[in-house]
Amino acid sequence: MVRCVEGGSGLDRLAGLALVRAARAWALVFLVLAAAGACLSWAAPWDANRILTAAGRHGDAAVAGVRALQASLAKVPPRDDATLLATVNTFFNQRIAFREDLENWGQVDYWASPLESLQKGAGDCEDYAIAKYFTLISTGVPHKRLRLVYVRAAVNGLVVPHMVLAFYPSADADPLVLDNLVPDIRPASRRPDLTPVFSFNAEAIWEGVSTANVGGSPVERLSRWRDVLNRGKQEGFL
Amino acid sequence: MSLIRQVWLLLGVTLALAIAGGFGISVESSRRYLATQLTMKNNDMAQSLGLSLSQQRGDATAMELLLASQFDTGFYEQMRLVAPDGKVLIDRSAPLNKSNAPAWFVGWMGLSPDVGIALVSDGWKQVGRLEVRSQSSFTVDQLWRSTLLAAWLLAFLALMAGAVARYGLARIKAPLSATVQQAMALTERRFVTVAEPHVPELREVTRAMNLMVDRLRLMFDEQAGQVEVLRRQAHCDDLTGVFNRPHFLGRLKGLLSAEDGSASGVLVLVRICDLQGINRMLGRAEADALLRETAAAIEESGRRSVRHEIGRLNGSDFALVLPDVQSLRESAVDVAAKLRTLFRTREGDAFAVVGAVRWWHGASASSLLAAADQALARAEARGAFAVDLDDAGDGLVLGEDAWRVRLEQALAHRWAELAKFAMVDVHGDVIHFECPLRLRLESDGAPVPAAQWLPMARRTQLTWRIDLLAVDVALSAIAVDGLPRSVNLSPSSLADDGFLPALRQLLLQHRASAPGLWLEVAEAGAMRNIELVRALVDQAHAMGVRVGLEHAGEQVTQSGRLLEAGLDFVKLDASLVDGIAESTARRQHVASMLLMLHGIGLAVYAEGVNEEADAQALWDCGIDGVTGPVVKRA
Repeated sequence: MVRCVEGGSGLDRLAGLALVRAARAWALVFLVLAAAGACLSWAAPWDANRILTAAGRHGDAAVAGVRALQASLAKVPPRDDATLLATVNTFFNQRIAFREDLENWGQVDYWASPLESLQKGAGDCEDYAIAKYFTLISTGVPHKRLRLVYVRAAVNGLVVPHMVLAFYPSADADPLVLDNLVPDIRPASRRPDLTPVFSFNAEAIWEGVSTANVGGSPVERLSRWRDVLNRGKQEGFL
Repeated sequence: MSLIRQVWLLLGVTLALAIAGGFGISVESSRRYLATQLTMKNNDMAQSLGLSLSQQRGDATAMELLLASQFDTGFYEQMRLVAPDGKVLIDRSAPLNKSNAPAWFVGWMGLSPDVGIALVSDGWKQVGRLEVRSQSSFTVDQLWRSTLLAAWLLAFLALMAGAVARYGLARIKAPLSATVQQAMALTERRFVTVAEPHVPELREVTRAMNLMVDRLRLMFDEQAGQVEVLRRQAHCDDLTGVFNRPHFLGRLKGLLSAEDGSASGVLVLVRICDLQGINRMLGRAEADALLRETAAAIEESGRRSVRHEIGRLNGSDFALVLPDVQSLRESAVDVAAKLRTLFRTREGDAFAVVGAVRWWHGASASSLLAAADQALARAEARGAFAVDLDDAGDGLVLGEDAWRVRLEQALAHRWAELAKFAMVDVHGDVIHFECPLRLRLESDGAPVPAAQWLPMARRTQLTWRIDLLAVDVALSAIAVDGLPRSVNLSPSSLADDGFLPALRQLLLQHRASAPGLWLEVAEAGAMRNIELVRALVDQAHAMGVRVGLEHAGEQVTQSGRLLEAGLDFVKLDASLVDGIAESTARRQHVASMLLMLHGIGLAVYAEGVNEEADAQALWDCGIDGVTGPVVKRA
């Protein structure tokens, strides 16, 4: 389990809220654009309809969230990883408020799928990381360039367990860290506050390294990671 | 396919499916369980080791040590650390354990647990991918052992189930076969009842069939009663119950002319003298009683011959015919003595006289009666209870041994011929040929009808061999021309132990001709030994041979046992059908008998039809076929 710390001050949050409102307004503007096939700008198998349909099952907030996400992504030029990362990072940092799992889901630890987080409008650190991971995957970023990383984070002089998403431009490169504590994306070398402990991704499960078939075995549900992967797949992200 | 076989098949398929299903499920579920366990173990081990390796800050030695220690102390097939560029950094592999299971089983089971994979990093730097494979050969061994165990256990269960099913089916089969046999008996015109089985469904069937048979028997008995009444009206003297004159004469004629009749015998005439005087003196009732007692006394005396027949020729004259009786004098004197005893107990001086003649096969009935009448007249002239004989001498020129030698000779050389008389249906088409056997008793002798040698054959117990010869000759003839032939068998042949097996052998040899063969047994003998007839019928039907009664009519309707014999046809004796065109009573009798015999599915034919008018009357009654002089003329 990863206990997360709430990021940002109250002011930051207010600013976030304002941004959310702005994004909602923009969403209306770009809705038409998105529907007009803006998804053409990504080479990825982003299946807008499928995700929208799945969002419909979760609720209005999820639908609105997905539309907003689509609108944001529509503005990203093709093959511009930096903008894509920034857009996705900013979208989820602003759209989802930090809230502990116990308060949010009534469980000590719960790994929410992207649509669940959007519907709730809230989540903790791994929910941010998961939502960003799934969204990036859905836009065509390969699994091997992304890792979910358990880190020790030094926040206000305290060391706390935390989870971030790391983007590796290449296998031996310094990764870029997508975090909900720090709004902008920085290379790992510029994040001395974070000490990585262990990382994982769905590469083995998803890209044929392993023979496992997600969703086919009853044991899949016993692993948090595989369980949320299944849900993400059903929602059309994978 | 038989019902029982179908049940077995069904049972077998069900068992096989159940066992295959149980077997498959048990093997597959163990397979899945083991694969899942191994997958989880691989995964968990990879994650845990990957976490440890990630803490070594890229120290290759430490990582290799960690990996090796884990690999060497655990149950692993392979552990690899692969760099992101695909280069293998560390590789530990154990030689594959040889499995006890056969190769096909390993291939078939295809147990391939997922490789456990974890990512190893040094801080933010990627070190590589850790792959963990646990030993899985033991799982195949375990699967193989449990598969074998399951196979043995299920095979044992299948055997047990088979044994139980066998027992159960046997319990079902016994009453079922009884029911089926009854049904088959019914189709073969054997109307038998069987014990009701315990199985409820079959019990209902059997009960219904038994009920049907009982009703049939009841109907048969009722009809038999009617036929008997009609027979008496047509053939018997009202007062005394013995044959009336026309019927007696018919019987006598038949006896003298039948191929298989007796060679010789005695005819005794009895006359009650001055019957009118007795009538006047004692009154009508007394006189009638005297007549009845006289008939009874003659009947008693006649028992010296099993085939004796008695008739009342006119008011005061009785006739007794004794076939196969040698002593003329004894027979006549015995009758006279019995009458003397009877008349003594009566008032008045009434008396009777006796005249007797010897007869030979082939003699004319009228001249025989005339001779007997003359003897009677001579006796009457001599006075009360006088006896007069007209003896033409002893017919048996040869002794018993001489006869045996001659018959054996004829048998050995097959000096046999079959006569051929057509039995035709209403359209004149031949149904079969009646073929009485004639033996040549000398190499150049003329064929002799059975009447001449049958009594001696009976006495020397050669009839069954002679009958077999007749069957053999008939079958050979059928093989040549394909015409159906009918051969008569002596009742005494049936009683001989050697006859039926030999007959069976003969029929097997002439399998192709057998369906053209008809066998007939004289009614008088058949009714005495109905069980033997049944055995004959069973054997004959198996080969397609038909069996029936000949010279029938007097007893055939009186015995319900006919219902169980399973016969195919009945031939009515000539004496029954002779002159039926003129006599309504006789016609009614024959008609009722036909109705009854047709009712139980028998074909009915008439023997010795002389007159065209009689034949026509028989066709009108519904007879199936006729034979006799009328056919030759047609």
